[in-house]
Amino acid sequence: MSEMGYVAVREMKIGFRNPWAYSFMALFAMFMVSLLIINSQGYVSGYSGTSGTMLNLALYLLPLMALMLGSFSLTAEKEEGNWELLSTYPLGTWSLLAGKYIGLSIVLLSIVSFGFGLSGAASWLSGSGFDFLTYQQLLVFSIGLSLFFLGLAMLIGTIARNRWQALTIAVGVWFFAIIAWPSILIALLGMMPYPWIKPAVTTLTFLNPAELTRLFTVVKLGGGSTLGPEYYNWMVWIRSNWGTPVFIGVMLLWIGTMLAISFGLWERGRSRG
Amino acid sequence: MDNHLVRFDGVHKSFKGKTAIEDLHLYIRRGEAVALCGGNGAGKSTLLRMVAGILRPTRGSISVNGHDWLENRQNYARQIGYMPDDYRFSPGLTAMETMLFWARLRGLGKTRAKEVLSMVGLSDTGSKPVASFSKGMRQRVLFAQALLAEPPLVIMDEPTNGLDPFWMNTFVTLVHQAVSNGQTLLFSTHQLEIAEALADRIVFLRDGNVILDRKREDIHLTNETEGMQQVFRELFGISGGFSRHEDKL
Repeated sequence: MSEMGYVAVREMKIGFRNPWAYSFMALFAMFMVSLLIINSQGYVSGYSGTSGTMLNLALYLLPLMALMLGSFSLTAEKEEGNWELLSTYPLGTWSLLAGKYIGLSIVLLSIVSFGFGLSGAASWLSGSGFDFLTYQQLLVFSIGLSLFFLGLAMLIGTIARNRWQALTIAVGVWFFAIIAWPSILIALLGMMPYPWIKPAVTTLTFLNPAELTRLFTVVKLGGGSTLGPEYYNWMVWIRSNWGTPVFIGVMLLWIGTMLAISFGLWERGRSRG
Repeated sequence: MDNHLVRFDGVHKSFKGKTAIEDLHLYIRRGEAVALCGGNGAGKSTLLRMVAGILRPTRGSISVNGHDWLENRQNYARQIGYMPDDYRFSPGLTAMETMLFWARLRGLGKTRAKEVLSMVGLSDTGSKPVASFSKGMRQRVLFAQALLAEPPLVIMDEPTNGLDPFWMNTFVTLVHQAVSNGQTLLFSTHQLEIAEALADRIVFLRDGNVILDRKREDIHLTNETEGMQQVFRELFGISGGFSRHEDKL
């Protein structure tokens, strides 16, 4: 196994023994099952009130979870002195960052899978439930969201000096990217000349992974008509054969960019000493 | 042939305009045990962290066994083992898991990890969470990881902090074994009796400068029975001796 693998295994062990991970797991599972109970008389298929609510639930909870778990993991290495000690080992910065990302991804995806698995099993037992494609799309949405924000968490953990700073930045990012985003978007677009609106929507959407993932999922669930005419081109490419591969490519590029910036900052810190 | 394992050539280190180490020229031979002594803020830890590759000199160069950190970090890292002063173990991992992680990063396996834990008397506690260990036990784990790959240079920052008298003696024995195996030692300590017990050569620092660099037996020859304490009093103007071990806990 490579050094990256050893770091990933260590990260998984620490992650699965971290009480925070189980708190998040319990919270997420509880919300998923609650939603199921609320919809106990119905059958969820495509983009509906229930699937929309599940999207919002995942949108509020999963980015915050990923940001906190990821950024705390990196800042803990600095605070505890482990980063300094590992600097004296023949371990590259990239192996450390990528290994931590992989290990934390597995922990996060386990949390997401547990929540979905529990609600899926409960819905199947109760007779009400999800159309399989809808269920699959919501799971993909949750996984994509977690991986996106974990990449961002690695950057936050790199910049922050300690866990308090990481928490402040993570909550700030979460607030702007999730809670305040629709209001900010409307306000910004309202100030722009009309010809700028479509390019601005495109650029701003690519800059916010939560919005990007949400749009992709809503269109895939068949709810594209709720988005409005500015998103017509989005609907066309997402529904095309290239939609999913391009989305995955953008996701990998986004995560890769976050890790690359983190790598650059760590290396700059090391060489400046 | 240059018999110097460690070379500090004109090393200068400053932090935001404040000088921590000033134009240092220090050369350590293979197989030597060198103690860095001095008061708080003398530059001992800064010097150790520079040779460990954690900090970069502002000017000058440091090489270990002919390797410079700037040229090849991985090869440089293979020349050293570092025991930090301030370190907190990650919660959730046992002593064996922690040691095994470090061992794997050095290309070693479970056998060596068990061996070093056994060397420091922790073979029975391998399955316990290392974060729950006492200060002394944690120091022993840190010391063990520094010896994992039997590096040419072992760097230790205040290695005897938190050790009880029994383990202090065992530590001295282990260090002597490492030196007799050909390893070179560079460590800092506030405890002059440790410097006397372990070091062939003692370097006193003050305000980032070397103010005395002498072999241990030469210090005793010059200062008769008072030895190190006398030197410390003369150099630092402190009466009544050095900082006590209990003060460090």
